[in-house]
Amino acid sequence: MSYFITVLDELGGTLLFFNKIISTLFKKAPKSHDVFEQIWKVTADSFLTTAMAGFFVGAIMSVQFAMLMKEFGALGYLGGLATSATFREVGPLLIAFMLSGKVGAFTSAELGTMRVTEQIDAVRCLGADPMQEIIAPRFIGIIIASFFLLGAGLIMSVFGGMLLGDLFGGVNFEEYLRHIPTIVSPISILSGLVKCFAFAVVLATVCTFKGYSTTGGAKGVGRAVVSTAVTTMICIVVMDWFTSFLGEIFLQIIRGYRS
Amino acid sequence: MISLLADTFFGLFAPPFRRREFLQQLYFVANRSLIIIVFCVSFAAIVTILESSFHMKMVIQNDSMVPGFAAVLILRELAAVVMALLLASRVGAGYASEVGSMQITEQIDALKMLGIDPVNYLVVPRFLACVLGATILTVVANMSCLFSAMLVSQSLLGYTPGMFIASMHRFIQFRDIIFAMIKGACFGGVIPIVACYFGFNCQQGAEGVGRATTNTVVVASIAIIVIDFILSYTFSHLY
Repeated sequence: MSYFITVLDELGGTLLFFNKIISTLFKKAPKSHDVFEQIWKVTADSFLTTAMAGFFVGAIMSVQFAMLMKEFGALGYLGGLATSATFREVGPLLIAFMLSGKVGAFTSAELGTMRVTEQIDAVRCLGADPMQEIIAPRFIGIIIASFFLLGAGLIMSVFGGMLLGDLFGGVNFEEYLRHIPTIVSPISILSGLVKCFAFAVVLATVCTFKGYSTTGGAKGVGRAVVSTAVTTMICIVVMDWFTSFLGEIFLQIIRGYRS
Repeated sequence: MISLLADTFFGLFAPPFRRREFLQQLYFVANRSLIIIVFCVSFAAIVTILESSFHMKMVIQNDSMVPGFAAVLILRELAAVVMALLLASRVGAGYASEVGSMQITEQIDALKMLGIDPVNYLVVPRFLACVLGATILTVVANMSCLFSAMLVSQSLLGYTPGMFIASMHRFIQFRDIIFAMIKGACFGGVIPIVACYFGFNCQQGAEGVGRATTNTVVVASIAIIVIDFILSYTFSHLY
């Protein structure tokens, strides 16, 4: 029961914090220099990790689908199916898990250190709003950089799937790529990108909130880092379900068919 | 890291065997992560079955295979990988910060002075507990996945549980869950090795512990995905 109350408490705090960030952003836009600095830092830090993760996720999906398609004798569809599944579901989820370990942990450790060494209070003493000066640029920067990284990971996943489709399923590159447009509609890619954006927003919100609300010295920073990774993953999974569900309803409205 | 793995394997058969420590670690790994893992994996399974129904309608007009298709994906990939990534972020980070703070407060040097092998004392119980715990958690995650997929397929897609199970029978044999357990055991073995490696090589100061923790989560996650790929490739020759 106490566990449940803790979860609700965290959720409420995160949502209030999100509201605060949005209102701060509408009051006054953050300096572009700070935002670009954050984007550069995050991207340079995690680009290789993300690309590698994306490559292997694509490879895994390709192998699995090749096994299934051999039963149906529909190996021609392998490229389209594996790419579609990676774009719509598995790719964003797993790559976002990766990013939550890297970007989220890094940012919350940085902000937590600022908090426990009283640098945030120092900013407030100087008459500046810490939300404006510290949190807002990071928030925007992490959203943009994560979105870019997730997109890069998805593009890498196509290459991974191609390679393994050739090695394992015997589908050569040209055939693999030729069947992608037959199955992967623009709406599929759009839904994948919407998912990526939602995950980026979740990641940015949770890690800034956890870092900003750190208490209790160096040990508190460690606790904040661990809880950031876990909370982000839970929120990402719930968000995944939410976007999928809404996307389904949206598609039904657009196309006018009942599934 | 490889040498640490080898030391751990030799330490498995070297006395003293610390049973109580092992049980404590097992409680930490398995019991404390159970709720989170079941929750996350169920949501992931719900999304998977929705998406796979969409795909099968597009490619093959016969949609009686959707549950089987989703169940194959869940059993072979999804449950084990999501479980392992959650464990890596939770357990791995915990172990890395624990061992790292022991390193910077010189407790590990003290152990060496007392003639106790730190690998045998610290790594071996954690390794065993993680392997066993991850194996058990994989089975639990798979079952909760299939159950939630069944619920959703009844409420949203209109398959009764009977249809679901009949369609599963076409695709799934008992060996699938055995392979999933092997995967889970391998993932569980990776996590404490990586965490303790970064903990032993921790730099001085609080910043070093933070860096060790972050590195652990990233390296363990990458290692899990790579190992998953290798194992998938290996098992695919056995079907």
